[in-house]
Amino acid sequence: MTTHPANGLDDVVHQRVRLGILTVAHEAVRVEFSYLKDALGLTAGNLSQHLGVLENAGLVSIEKGYAGKRARTWISLTRAGRAALAEEIARLKLLISRVEQGDGAAG
Amino acid sequence: MTSGAAYPGDDPRQLLSSARELASRVRQTQRATWLPLLVLAAVTFAAIPAYHAGHHVGSCVSVRGGRICISYYPAAFVYWPIALVLAYTAIAAFYIRRSRARGVGTRVRPYVTAGIVLALVMSGVSLAAVHHPPPYGQGLQVAVLARLISPASAIGLALLVLARTERSRALVVLALAYLVVVLVPVSFGWVIDEPAWFFVPRQVIDGSVLLLASIGFALAQRPWRQAA
Repeated sequence: MTTHPANGLDDVVHQRVRLGILTVAHEAVRVEFSYLKDALGLTAGNLSQHLGVLENAGLVSIEKGYAGKRARTWISLTRAGRAALAEEIARLKLLISRVEQGDGAAG
Repeated sequence: MTSGAAYPGDDPRQLLSSARELASRVRQTQRATWLPLLVLAAVTFAAIPAYHAGHHVGSCVSVRGGRICISYYPAAFVYWPIALVLAYTAIAAFYIRRSRARGVGTRVRPYVTAGIVLALVMSGVSLAAVHHPPPYGQGLQVAVLARLISPASAIGLALLVLARTERSRALVVLALAYLVVVLVPVSFGWVIDEPAWFFVPRQVIDGSVLLLASIGFALAQRPWRQAA
């Protein structure tokens, strides 16, 4: 008996916004808070909440600094974050293929 | 940390397609392919005076019907490594400044490192080839070998690294096409006996390919196209 792919999904990552944050941070070496806010269409408070969840789970690291006189917050993916993202993408693909194969348990 | 429900969050298809769309948008923001192409085109055109500055005739061998001599350009040997290192430094500075302004980092280091290493290695190999020339009598192989260790070839190979970094198929195609232009002896029937002008058509062709490609990428990567 095999485990259903949905059973391995990580609640921290399996969420549209947080998956989006991890995806953007994976593509960029590091990404600035305001870019993430605009790209994901979030308010600053909402994004901060999601970043807090990811940071507590050790999936992203947050670095604060200045560019000239402007305060900047940079987000980058940790090694655990890269692994969690890869795992999530693999499980999503597996879930989709199960659904497409007519697996009743998935749909 | 795991969920027992089949769908604890959003629909997997929507999640995956939204992640892909975001990744694609980030790549579009990161890409600035026109700039390295423009800088390298400028470096290629600027090499013409270095070839025009004079040449030295090295070792010669007698062959049936005459002699074959190795001719080299000392100014070009100095020009290329310095110009390419400066060019890649400028490209790195541009990408870093741009990524700070846009809020998205770019993996430019592999390209810049590959570009500088290739430029220095090929300059060294070219210099060694002058002192230890390959055997004569294999005209085509020697011609291709000479082009393979040329600065233009180093530029083309480094562009393949940039294509991988930017995950751009268009740039892969461009880099391969450029390498073909560099490696294939292109001739429109001209005969240039004067060594000071011998390399000019070559530099004009290579530089023009890079310049036209830069214009093409600049048009394709316009901000308003990305927004559409």
